[in-house]
Amino acid sequence: MVMTRREFLTASAGVMSVGGVLRGRPGCILLDLKGGCLRESVAGYVSALHPRVRIAEWHSLSPCAVLIVPGTLDISPAAARAIAACTHAGATVILECGAGFTDERAFGAQRAALLDCLQLKIEPPVQLWPRRTPYIDYSWPYSVKLRDFSRVVPLGAQTGEMIAWVDDLPIAIKRRRGRGTLIFLGSPIGPALWAHDAQARSWLAAVLATA
Amino acid sequence: MKKSIGDNMIPKDWGFDRGLELVKKAGFDGIELWLGDVPWFQMSTTDIDVRELRRKVASAGLVVSNVSTGLHWGSPLSARDPRVRAQAARIVERQIETATLLGSDAILVVAGLVTEEVPYNEVYSRCVDALQSLGGTAARAGVKIGCENCNSEQRFLISPREFWQFLNDVNSPAVGIHLDVGNIHDTGFAEQWIELHGPRITRMHLKDVMKHRGRCGNQSVYTNLFLGDNNWPAIRAAMTKVRYDGWLIAEMEARYRYAPDQQFYDTAQAMDRLISGRL
Repeated sequence: MVMTRREFLTASAGVMSVGGVLRGRPGCILLDLKGGCLRESVAGYVSALHPRVRIAEWHSLSPCAVLIVPGTLDISPAAARAIAACTHAGATVILECGAGFTDERAFGAQRAALLDCLQLKIEPPVQLWPRRTPYIDYSWPYSVKLRDFSRVVPLGAQTGEMIAWVDDLPIAIKRRRGRGTLIFLGSPIGPALWAHDAQARSWLAAVLATA
Repeated sequence: MKKSIGDNMIPKDWGFDRGLELVKKAGFDGIELWLGDVPWFQMSTTDIDVRELRRKVASAGLVVSNVSTGLHWGSPLSARDPRVRAQAARIVERQIETATLLGSDAILVVAGLVTEEVPYNEVYSRCVDALQSLGGTAARAGVKIGCENCNSEQRFLISPREFWQFLNDVNSPAVGIHLDVGNIHDTGFAEQWIELHGPRITRMHLKDVMKHRGRCGNQSVYTNLFLGDNNWPAIRAAMTKVRYDGWLIAEMEARYRYAPDQQFYDTAQAMDRLISGRL
C-alpha cells in the first residue's frame, strides 16, 4: 500500500503522541489478560496511548472502536470469544501474540482458542536468533522495518492480507471480520513501544489512523 | 579503607577452608563471596550452610565484604523472556537474603546485557523497572545493590553520566554503583567515575587494565595492580576527594601460572600501597 502525505504526517506525529490519533473518537480499550500476557507489552501500549486508552478485563468489555490485546501468553476460549464479539460489532482489534514465551501446553491451548473463535491458524513459535538482521518487514499500512522479538509465531495459510514477514515467514495478518477488522501480530511490538522505539510508535499511530 | 578479595580467586583445588587461611595470611580484612561461581556457594546452598560459611569466615578472622554473582551473565534482568527475568530477579533476591545471613550490607549485580538481539533501549527500561522493585526489597533488608559498570562486556551504561542518569531513573536509595576501576578501558578515566558517583559507590573493585591492548580473540586486557594503565595516584586522590572509605575488593584474573597463592600476597601489598597513598 502506498502511503499518502497525510498518512505519513499522521504516522510521524505518532512518534510524539500515538494517543493523539484517537482524539475525539470513540473508545480505545486495552484488554489486560493479567498473568496471561506479557506485562511489559501492556505497559508499552499504555505508555504510547496514554491518556486515550481504557484498560478492561475480558468479562467487562464494552463496544469500542479499537481493542488492543497485548502479548497473549494464555488466552481462554471465553476471552477469545469476547474478542471475536468485538470484531463482529465493528471494532478494529490488534491481537498481539506472546506465545513464543510459553510452554507447549499453553501454546496448544492458545492455538485452539484462536482457531475456534477467530479462525486464526498459527504455527509453533520460531526462535529467530542468531540471525543477520533483527527486523521484521511490515508492508501495511506502510512499508517499515520493526524490531523482531526473538521468538515469533508464524501464520498458517489462510484468508486475509499478510502484512508482515520475517524472511519468508508470514508474521502478521489483517482480515475483515463481521463489521470490524482483526490484525494479528505474531511478534509483539508492545515492548518496543515501552522502550520508546520511534518506528513502532509511528506504525501503531498509522494503524490506529485506519480504524 | 579495608581490603577484600573474591573467593573465586581461590585456586580450584584448594577448597574454601584453606582459601580462607590464605586470604587472612595475605593480609586481607574480608572476602567477597561469589554466588554460583564457587562450589561452596550456590543457589541451592541452604540457609544453614550459608550460616556455616559465615562461621568459617569469622573463624578465619575475616568478614564478608559483599555478595557478588556472575549468574546474571546467563540470566540477565534485561532478558526478553519473562521467565528468564523472573530467575534473574530470584538471583538478586537470594543475594540479598544471603548477604543478610552473612552479615554483609552489599551485593553486586550486573544489571543488564545489551546484545545484537536485545537492544539498548529495551535493556534500559527493563533494568530500571527491575531495580525499582528489587531496590525496595534491598532497602527492607538493609542491603545496598551495587550495579557494576561492566562497560565493555555489557555494552550498557558506557559513560559515567549515563550511569548517573540510570541511577536517577531507578531512584532508590538502596541502589548504587559497584565501581570497577578496571572496567572502564578506553571509554574514560576511573578517577572521573569516582568523582561523579561519590556517595553512590557501594563497593569498589580493583584491577588494572592495559588500555591500548584492545581485545583480540580471548586476549585479556586485565592485569594486576600497577602493571596496567590506570592512573593510580589520581584514583587514590579521587577516593579522598569524595571521602570514599569503604571496601576495596581485588578482582583480577588468576594469572599466576606457578605459585598461585603469590598473587594474593602481591595484591594485598599493592592494595596497602594504594591505601597509604605511597604511589
